[in-house]
Amino acid sequence: MLDFFTIFSKGGIVLWCFQGAGVKESFTGPVNALIRSVILQERSGSNSFTHERQSLKYKLDNEFELIFVVGFQNILTLTYVDKFIDDVQLRFRDRYKNELVQKGALMLLNNSFEFEDDFQRILREAEESSRTRSTTYMRAFQESEKSKKTVKSMIETKGGDKGKEQGGKKSKSSKKELEKPSPPGQKTLQNGNQGLTQEEIIQKKREEFIRKHTAGPTEKPSLPHIQRGRRGGGGSGQRNKQTKVFPVFDCLCMPGFSFYANKHLVCLPPPPPPPPKKGGGGGGCGWVKGWVGSKSLSQEDMEPVLEKMKEHLIAKNVAAEIASQLCDSVAKKLEGKVMGTFTTVASTVKQALQDSLVQILQPKRRVDILRDVMEAQSQRRPFVITFCGVNGVGKSTNLAKISYWLIENGFTVLIAACDTFRAGAVEQLRTHQRRLNALHPPEKHGGQPVVQLYEKGYGKDAAGIAMEAIAYARNQAFDVVLVDTAGRMQDNAPLMTALAKLIAVNMPDLVLFVGEALVGNEAVDQLVKFNQALADHSMSEKPRLIDGIVLTKFDTIDDKVGAAISMTYITGQPIVFVGTGQTYNDLRSLNARAVVGALMKA
Amino acid sequence: MDERSVGGDMGGKEDAKMLENTVKQFIEYVRKQVEEQDPVFLISVVVALAAIIITCVFLKYFLTSKTVRSAVLLVGLCDSGKTLLFSRLVSGKFKRTQTSITDSSAPYKAKSDKGTTWTLIDLPGHDSLRAQYLEKFKSAARAIVFVVDSAIFQKEVRDVAEFLYVLLTDSVICRNTPTLLVACNKQDITMAKSAKLIQQQLEKEFVFLGKKGKDFEFSQLPMRVEFLECSALSNKAEEGEADIKSLEKSLAKL
Repeated sequence: MLDFFTIFSKGGIVLWCFQGAGVKESFTGPVNALIRSVILQERSGSNSFTHERQSLKYKLDNEFELIFVVGFQNILTLTYVDKFIDDVQLRFRDRYKNELVQKGALMLLNNSFEFEDDFQRILREAEESSRTRSTTYMRAFQESEKSKKTVKSMIETKGGDKGKEQGGKKSKSSKKELEKPSPPGQKTLQNGNQGLTQEEIIQKKREEFIRKHTAGPTEKPSLPHIQRGRRGGGGSGQRNKQTKVFPVFDCLCMPGFSFYANKHLVCLPPPPPPPPKKGGGGGGCGWVKGWVGSKSLSQEDMEPVLEKMKEHLIAKNVAAEIASQLCDSVAKKLEGKVMGTFTTVASTVKQALQDSLVQILQPKRRVDILRDVMEAQSQRRPFVITFCGVNGVGKSTNLAKISYWLIENGFTVLIAACDTFRAGAVEQLRTHQRRLNALHPPEKHGGQPVVQLYEKGYGKDAAGIAMEAIAYARNQAFDVVLVDTAGRMQDNAPLMTALAKLIAVNMPDLVLFVGEALVGNEAVDQLVKFNQALADHSMSEKPRLIDGIVLTKFDTIDDKVGAAISMTYITGQPIVFVGTGQTYNDLRSLNARAVVGALMKA
Repeated sequence: MDERSVGGDMGGKEDAKMLENTVKQFIEYVRKQVEEQDPVFLISVVVALAAIIITCVFLKYFLTSKTVRSAVLLVGLCDSGKTLLFSRLVSGKFKRTQTSITDSSAPYKAKSDKGTTWTLIDLPGHDSLRAQYLEKFKSAARAIVFVVDSAIFQKEVRDVAEFLYVLLTDSVICRNTPTLLVACNKQDITMAKSAKLIQQQLEKEFVFLGKKGKDFEFSQLPMRVEFLECSALSNKAEEGEADIKSLEKSLAKL
């Protein structure tokens, strides 16, 4: 059933791997894609990933720096996988504890980890357990509780009857235990009322309800297995002796029981997993353990610190969902890690968060526009850059700044005025063109003007103008074509279609999304919808998406620089330019360390 | 105290005099105490103070002294074969590898007469991690092995050149001038470019990056640069020896 299972170190050495029968393709590709898209982009909040037709689930072991990955076909829904990975991880750790504690690449290289037998055993157990569970089928009507209710009981009458009957119904529902919210209904048959007749059940429930009310409203929840004592009993007397006082509360989120929302039911989360064992020491020396090493981080330790960091990030204008995803990812990365001596939880978490922020802001590919322009020059074609974004973010201003920068570096620029909607757009670009030509007069550059404007007035089709502009640039041997488009809201479907058509038809070398640094949670929505539109309306298999981001109006924010994080996190694309003012010189590139410093500052 | 006048301008001088007096008195007091005390006690106090001062001096010296440069770094673009090369050099074995997300280090004994042991450190090549790991290890570098994927070099030439350029223009590296070994890996693939070709291509790229306009040659650099060919994966895939003899020879010459 599984395609592959691999255990490798964070340094990249595979300790052990398993390839399913009949699977020919190597798993290196999908696992590398997993590492690059998820772990390196700090999206490890959810532990599954889809790559083409395979679904991958993974688990990080931060104490020994290992990663466990399992892959299976997308179409299969294997329910045992999560628990299976956990079991494998525990078994591997137990078996090779001595070797793993040594740490160091030499240990990994010299040891061979013969894990095949254990793995097969755990796999068989997992498959069997899922098979026994999966034979549960839908209850027939006779088995459902509705058939056990009398018609009279379902009629609501004022007074005691209703209360009793509702209590009866309620206790019946309380019998359906709930260890996990999913899979629902599968466990109900295990401890259901299989051996008892209908009247006995109602009688029992009435007793239980009365007892519950006399015992008081505050009762401790208990694990459902206590209910098993009731099953198969004889008369009611025996049953009374066996039954314990703590009833089982039901969770409101279970389907089918939502109408039992009266004040007697309390929704409780499933019991938390047992906390990981900390090294020795009683509760009294816990605080000392926090100071002197070998304390491994647990979710509870990190929770308050991460909450505070999340609020801090949100206060610095990072989008709310991005901040929470980032904090989840950092929690996953640090869980189980052993802290060094004299380091507090807060400092470890802050350091990890800082590292992930720097990592997010580092570009994932080389960003060197000048070199790419030179490359296009050598191929005798113009380098086309398209600017898109919502209204009023500064596309035309930054386009002018970028053309100034390109002229300073010795290239000739053609500006294509594809904003045929906004009044004054073409005139604005013409003014910029005149100014730039005044700054770099044609006499100094071999008689040819360095900047030219290609415009066809207002009201025409933008994609057509762009195509003509590019053809003109090729004929006249311009080095760069800068295409200015009209600002549009991301919800405006026809305009988004028009933009997608412009980009799909003209295939620019670089699609830059212009966004202002003042934007907050909106950034996520804008980028997602822009990318979606570009992907949907493209005919080819590999649609052109946003390649880079221009962050404008950076001088208007002091240190609330969170928009940079939101935008890079959502798209995974680098911030190519930062606009810091309205003159031609106000164009910078992003300094990741400075931005992260401003973000983490108190 | 009739000498003390109430006038303002005289007050300052009086204060200074009083301060002087108190200081003198204090010194007298200390001297008397010291003379009265047991000489053993005095000696122990002096020894303790001296010990503290010496410890402070030593700590300062050791903590701020330059780390002994005994590391050989394996750097390069993603998927160039660094981790496999690392495994081959350290243990000679073939191991399957994935994209590294942290560094790995192990001692490496050079195959020379002296048999010096270096620390071989394999850094992740992914773009978002490169900079921070280089930052961490560059000051300890005695030599840098820059691994290049010779088979797809033509497509990646600009990325390779930019990384190498960043490496060579780094201030710490310019100061320490570690030996640079450019290992053209994956020579077992038939399409692999030779080391000479790669050197020429990189020199041409550096002309663009340096923006100085004149030709660039690796021999112009202050550090020793050597181009060599190797193959971490031999022709018979997993079994068989890897062809890393030239790399080992160069490492022995360090």
